[in-house]
Parts: sequence; C-alpha cells; structure tokens
Amino acid sequence: MNDAIRVNNLTKVFGPADSGVVAVDHISFDVRRGEVFGFLGPNGAGKTTTQRMLTTLLEPTEGSIIIHGHDLARDAYPVKRQMGLVPEESNVYTELTAWENLMFTGRLYRVSRAERTERAQHLLETFGLWEKRDVKAENYSKGMRRRLSIAMAIIHRPALLFLDEPTPGLDVQSARAIRDLIRQLNAEGTTIFLTTHQIEEANQLCDRVAIIKQGRIAAVDTPERLKAAFRRVQSVEVGLEPTAAQVSENSRASWAGVPGVTTAVKWGDKWRLYTEDPSVLLPQVLDHARANGLKVISLSTLGPSLEDVFLEITGQQVGAVRHETPPQPRQRGMKGGMGGKR
Amino acid sequence: MKLRGLQRVGDELAQAWIIVAKDIRVHYLRPGMIMFGFLMPFFMFFSFSVRRAMAAEQGVARLLALTTFFTAAAAGPFIIPLERRLGTYDRLLAAPMSLLTLLLSKTAVGAVFAMAVSAVSLLVGLIVFRVTIAQPWLLAAGAVLSSFSFSALGLIFGSIPTRNPGDVQMPSTLLRWGLLFISGVFVPLAEMSTGARLLAFVSPLTYAQDLMNHAVLGAAMLNPWLDLAVLLASGILCLLPPVWMHRRSRQLGY
Ligand SMILES: Nc1ncnc2c1ncn2[C@@H]1O[C@H](COP(=O)(O)OP(=O)(O)O)[C@@H](O)[C@H]1O
Ligand SMILES: [Mg+2]
Repeated sequence: MNDAIRVNNLTKVFGPADSGVVAVDHISFDVRRGEVFGFLGPNGAGKTTTQRMLTTLLEPTEGSIIIHGHDLARDAYPVKRQMGLVPEESNVYTELTAWENLMFTGRLYRVSRAERTERAQHLLETFGLWEKRDVKAENYSKGMRRRLSIAMAIIHRPALLFLDEPTPGLDVQSARAIRDLIRQLNAEGTTIFLTTHQIEEANQLCDRVAIIKQGRIAAVDTPERLKAAFRRVQSVEVGLEPTAAQVSENSRASWAGVPGVTTAVKWGDKWRLYTEDPSVLLPQVLDHARANGLKVISLSTLGPSLEDVFLEITGQQVGAVRHETPPQPRQRGMKGGMGGKR
Repeated sequence: MKLRGLQRVGDELAQAWIIVAKDIRVHYLRPGMIMFGFLMPFFMFFSFSVRRAMAAEQGVARLLALTTFFTAAAAGPFIIPLERRLGTYDRLLAAPMSLLTLLLSKTAVGAVFAMAVSAVSLLVGLIVFRVTIAQPWLLAAGAVLSSFSFSALGLIFGSIPTRNPGDVQMPSTLLRWGLLFISGVFVPLAEMSTGARLLAFVSPLTYAQDLMNHAVLGAAMLNPWLDLAVLLASGILCLLPPVWMHRRSRQLGY
C-alpha cells in the first residue's frame, strides 16, 4: 500500500451524458505516499474538477478513486479525516478573525483544545499572521487570506493535502512563503497534490508531474524527464526589418534551414525559431540576417511555454497549424502561450 | 466497535453544535438581523392580529405561531446558497461528518433564531398585553418543535442547487404565503367549511396554531399530542428532499 491516491478511468461530464461538457476524460494515475504530485495544465484543462472529485465535493460520472485504500464512493469518512483542502478561491469566513477561523476548523475536525490552540499559534506565527490574529479576515489582503486558508487546511495535520493553484495572483513574498511551506510539510511526511498552471512551480516543487490538457493526461513523469522534452521547445524570437509580415514564404524556408533551428514559425511580426540550444543559435541568427540583408531589431530567448510542451508531449509538431485553424501561413491557432487566469 | 460508534455519534453532535454556533456568529449576530428579530413580532402583530376586536390571548397565540413560521424562513434558506457562492460551504461538505449532521445543524440554526424571536413575541404578550399562559410547558415544547419544523421546511429551499441566494426567494415566499392562507390562522378551524378544513390539515402551520391555542388559551380544536406528532413528523419529512437535493448538487458541481 504505497499509493496515497489511485485514480482509475476518472471521468466527469457536466450536463447530459451524451451532449454535456467532458471536463475530465477517463484519466488514470497514482500518487505515492510522501510525494509532491503536480497536476499541471492550462486553464479549463479539468484540474479543479479533478481535485473536487478527489475531495468528495463532486461526484464522478465514471471511474474510481481509492485514497489510502478506501474507495471514495463507498467509504469516504476515514479519508475525509485525513485530508486537507485548499481551494482555488480562499474560502475563509470573512466575518471571523484568523484565530476564530482556525478554532472553528480545529473543532470541526475534532482536534483537542490543547492541540488546536498550540497548533494555531504555531501556524499563525509561521504565516506571519500572529499580530493580526484578532482582526476580522474581511480586512485581510488576498495573500493573507490565502495563507490563512492554508493554515485552516492543515490545522488537523492531514496526511494528504490538496492545493488548487495556491500562488497565482499573490505577491512574490506570499508565493515564496507558500512554496517553502509546501516543501516543509512534505519533509514532515505530508503527501501533496498540487494543481498549477505554472511549469516553474511544478519544476521547483514536484517529485512527479501529470500534464493534463482538455481533460486528458498527456504525460506523467518526473520534472527532470519532462524538462528534457521542454528543452526541445526552447526558442529564439527575432524581430527584423523589413518585418516578418513583409518577408516572403521563401524566407520561412530559409530560416528553417539555419543550423540548429528545428522549426521556424511566423509569430505576429516576428519569427520564432525553435531550437534545442539557443546559445548556439543566437550567432547563427545574426549571421543569417546579415547574409540576407535583414536588419535585426530585436532578439530574445524564450523558455518553453506550456502550450509548446503540450504539443511536444502530445506528439504534435511545435508551431504546427492547429486543426481548428486550417491553411494560411504557418500561424498558430493560439497566441501568447499560457494566458493568465480567467 | 461499539465504543467507536458512540464516539462517532458524539463527534457528529459536537460538529453540529460547532456549526450552529459559527452560523449564529456569522449570519445572525449582525446589527441588521438583531433589529429584524426585535421588530418582527411588532410587525407581525400590527399586520395580522388586530384585524378585529379579539381577546389579547387569541392575538398572542396567533402572534407566536406566525413569528416562528416567518422567522424560521427569514434567513435560513439563504445561508446555504450564500455559503456555496463564498466557497465556505465546501468546508462543511468536505469535513468528516455525515450529510445528515450538516442538515440538522443548518435546521437548528434557523430554529434557534425562530425561538429567540418567539421569545420576544412572548415577552410582548406578557408585558404589553398582560396575558396569562395556560400551559407554559406546552408552549415551550410547541415553540421548539414548530421552530425546528418550519426551519426544516426552509431547508428544502436552501438546498436548491444554486449559488445565487436570489433563486431561493421566489419559491420560498410563494410556498409560505400559500400555506399561510390555507392554514387555520385567520379563520379558526371550527368555522371553516369541510373543504377548506381538509386543505388546512395539509399545512403544518395549522397544527402550530392549534398548539399555541392550547398553550395560551387552554383550549383548541385538535389533540395537542396530535399537533406535536404532526410537527415532529413534518420536520423529519422535510429533511428528506434536502438529502436528495444535496446529492444532485454534488453531481451538478454547485
Ligand atoms: N459546474 C460546472 N458546470 C459545467 N461546466 C463546468 C463546471 N465546472 C467546470 N466546468 C467546465 O469544465 C472544464 C474544466 O474546468 P476546470 O476543472 O475548472 O479547469 P481548470 O481548473 O483546469 O482551469 C471547463 O471547460 C469548465 O468550463
Ligand atoms: Mg481551476
């Protein structure tokens, strides 16, 4: 029994079974005890839907979830005792103070008085909320509310903690404090299920990452191995005079022919050249431009966007035309890679 | 094994109480709600009780039945959709306790408020109208049972799968006013036609009114034990649709 979570064929259809929205589409994965498991995907991929099913808040349309050996559909009570939940939107009671919020949650999870007061003090101090413990949460900043919401999720020392996009929209300090805490909890033995749309966050924190897109899991692997895939989709973006828009299809072919370029894509008024090694490519780009009488007005190296990683992992060619936007020059259906939040 | 079962029951009762205390804190101990609680009995009295010359006792019995009926529905049905919208309801749904405990706690919150406001009504009756209460124990039992029963009725509307408290307003108001007019509140049961009386027997408010007549006036039409039994049964029956509606919410994702 080394698996904290075993998910088999999990599916959620919102609306009628035949014509509804398939938010999660027959996914299967395991989360091992003691690991930080990342659930990485763009907005609308089905991350929150999956987390809500794993935490009993949403009933699956199909499939099974087994947590710590208990089938969630039949035997959720022991699981509920062992898990903590941090939702996407901080759901603290704004009419209550931080202290009252923690006491309420502690009592709800039947934590003894001595333990919950000691633990609440410790958590409030760790999260920098101790001075404000008697202030109503309605006066808290977004970052403070998020920290309080995490404190409330762990006051009963859950063996398994779910976090749904805990850092977006927070100031740098709060985000770092939260990442540090996740590491610390994990070091103390807590299994962590972390939903995120930030590759870097997944890289920094996770032992393994599942990549989910449009309700399906494209890959489950260690960040190291996924990064190997990421490396193939780094790119160099070059702005030229005359601009890319004026440059003929010929020129596309010639950019693709530059050594080190795997794919060349016209991206707005610039060219994006995919490569495994930008440092080798940069001087080549300058040489090629000079040789063709083009003036380079901007040049930048871009890390892989999650969108690119997906295309790479799902076996589609980077920069390839997406099926919903046929012919025309090789322009991508989706610009700007991963957007922010809705 | 048996001990564990007992432990679980104890836990669930404690959890229900914790939620009641929290809800009172969060939703009812606000200046607006407290004002409302104090004004409601007077509002009720002037709206419904002084339509014709009647004995003060009769007026107070009616006032008591109506305050429990209306205050149990004043805020209770809106709390769950509101908490769903704020996301705080998920805390309760994810907590290690049964759905029934959660539903009982939400019923109790509305009932506690209804009882508190009924106490104000009673004080008005005792102090302003100097009425005497024929059967104080029956009054207490009746107020508690009616409050729970009407609060459970409100829970049916609170369980509508929605995150918008506004969606609850219309159906909840319609049913309450419908029940109000078919019940034996304005026209005593004894003076009703057979058809109207049969209809009145469908409404739990009829039994609450009859019970209050027993308690305050010392006389009424039905057996007080029947009144108590019907209120208890209707309260329990009213908990069934919310169980089903909560399952539905869990499928729909509210
Ligand atoms: N309650 C719901 N009813 C209908 N559709 C929903 C509901 N919740 C989510 N969806 C849809 O399911 C898909 C996945 O959403 P979600 O799980 O929130 O994605 P993510 O958390 O990865 O951004 C989206 O298309 C979303 O519109
Ligand atoms: Mg989400």
